[in-house]
Amino acid sequence: MAPETKLSHTAALILQAIQAGFVYGFSIMEMTGLPSGTVYPAMRRLERDGMIRSNWEKQAIADAEQRPPRKYYKLTATGNLTLEGARKRYPLLERLIPSEEVSRT
Amino acid sequence: MTPHVGWIFTRIERALFRGASWLAPEADRAEWLQEWRAELWHARESIRIDGQITWAGEKEILRFCAGAIQDAWTLRKLEKRKPGTAFHGSAAECLLILLALFAASYLLSQLLPGVRAENDPSLYRVNPNLIMIQDAFAGDDSLATISVENYKIWKTSRQRYFDGFAFYRIAKETVIGRDESKERWKVAHASPNLFWMLGLPTTLSSVSGDAVGRTPGVILSEAIWRRDFAADPRIGGRVVRIGGADARVIGVAPANVWRLPGNMDAWLLEPDDVNRGIGYVIAHLTPAGRLEMNSNRVEIISSSADDSDEELRGISFADRTKGPWGLYQFALLLAFLALPAITSVSLGESHFYSSPPSWSNRFAHWLFLVAKIVLLLPSVYFASLDLAYCHATNFSIGSQYIQLISTFVMTLFGLRWIVLDQRNRCPICLRRVTHPARVGMAGRTFLAWNGTELMCAGGHTLLHVPALPTSWFATQRWLYLDTSWKFLFVGSGPG
Repeated sequence: MAPETKLSHTAALILQAIQAGFVYGFSIMEMTGLPSGTVYPAMRRLERDGMIRSNWEKQAIADAEQRPPRKYYKLTATGNLTLEGARKRYPLLERLIPSEEVSRT
Repeated sequence: MTPHVGWIFTRIERALFRGASWLAPEADRAEWLQEWRAELWHARESIRIDGQITWAGEKEILRFCAGAIQDAWTLRKLEKRKPGTAFHGSAAECLLILLALFAASYLLSQLLPGVRAENDPSLYRVNPNLIMIQDAFAGDDSLATISVENYKIWKTSRQRYFDGFAFYRIAKETVIGRDESKERWKVAHASPNLFWMLGLPTTLSSVSGDAVGRTPGVILSEAIWRRDFAADPRIGGRVVRIGGADARVIGVAPANVWRLPGNMDAWLLEPDDVNRGIGYVIAHLTPAGRLEMNSNRVEIISSSADDSDEELRGISFADRTKGPWGLYQFALLLAFLALPAITSVSLGESHFYSSPPSWSNRFAHWLFLVAKIVLLLPSVYFASLDLAYCHATNFSIGSQYIQLISTFVMTLFGLRWIVLDQRNRCPICLRRVTHPARVGMAGRTFLAWNGTELMCAGGHTLLHVPALPTSWFATQRWLYLDTSWKFLFVGSGPG
């Protein structure tokens, strides 16, 4: 997808959350306040469009913390460029989710 | 909330995930389920208060789980839009093309009068008590071998196995119509009971018995009636001069009803004492004769007046009245037998190193093969009849040959295509594998791998086809691509 692609507000919010360090589905839900039926499908579309990329956490890490492994999401170069464009379109994005939010990865 | 109630909620959530997972594409299902179960764990941890989950918390979790349905549905929709799920190269495309071929051949067969007539089931209702008698030493069923004298003797003498005989011989005769035009017809000089014994229908029969008694009757073939009489509906009773004698038209035989030797233009029904020469005898079996007829051919010994025995042969009409269906079955059998000679019929050449296809995928793979064959066979039947009767409106031996050969060729090469196509179908999605790439060097066939690699556009499998079968790599092999390969096949965007 081209960097100048216009994102919906929801998609932009999710990208902003991922960049701010909320890197798995439930944490993005908690941060954005969006329901699961909105967040996960939006992430599927963003992944299909090449703006985010997913990878599974190593089993050993999950085992050490006695929980199931998470699927983490990360912005791609295209995703970063698109998010920059989206911030100009939605100036409140950074105020809703500041980029310097604590990283949870 | 009691632990018992919590257990019930857990079951509901699992069932919800399991149900929703069926909406997700099969290739992504396991990973999708794993992600949602992991997310559910985090959701539970987040909502838990002092190690307990309240009613409100369970409702919250149920709302969270309900999102899985929408997510799975989205995944399904995205899968359909992938390049790998396009119509081109899919199983549906293949079946639609075969269906279109079948429809086209069937529609054409309905437009061709020759095919319509051949498919008329009323033509093949044969009296099982009739046989044709022929000299036992005749090399060909279609040869005339019985003299009219013998016929007359058999007819007038007491018989144990036969209770009726009919005779005809074929001759080319000059025919003079009302306008004095001369034509050469192929005429069957037949005994008056021929059509009655064979049970052949005639049309336009409007002549009184008296008229027939005075002048020999003639039955015209439909082709002659159309060609020389312009399909005149009042042809009944008209007198034509055949071979120097008058004959009165007593009917028209519909196309294709005549299945005995000779492609006749007319049947001249004349008294037996007028007939002469060598011809064909049709006999009606008594119940005792029917019991003796235990195959399509039977040997007959006829004792003549001078006590010399004559060896004869009785031939059932079954072979001549099988119609296109019998010929088609025979050609199909030949094609199936010949198929291994032109291609390997083995489909069990697929080896999965890991993650073999599910039972439903294997079932779909076989079902697709059967569907292709089921669509091919009727298409071949109608297409071969279309070819055989595109120029002929009547039954003829030539048309039968065309039908036999075309059925054989189309079935043989159609089956070959089906087998080759099946080998190149991804066992997961049934799409044709594409993007062939030559790998290795021919000179290193025995030291390293040399052949062609093809891949499923849906990202499910890779197919390795060796250029030269070796003892360690004799047949094609499938490599199942797990989800780690998925990023290669997602749209055109990076990442």
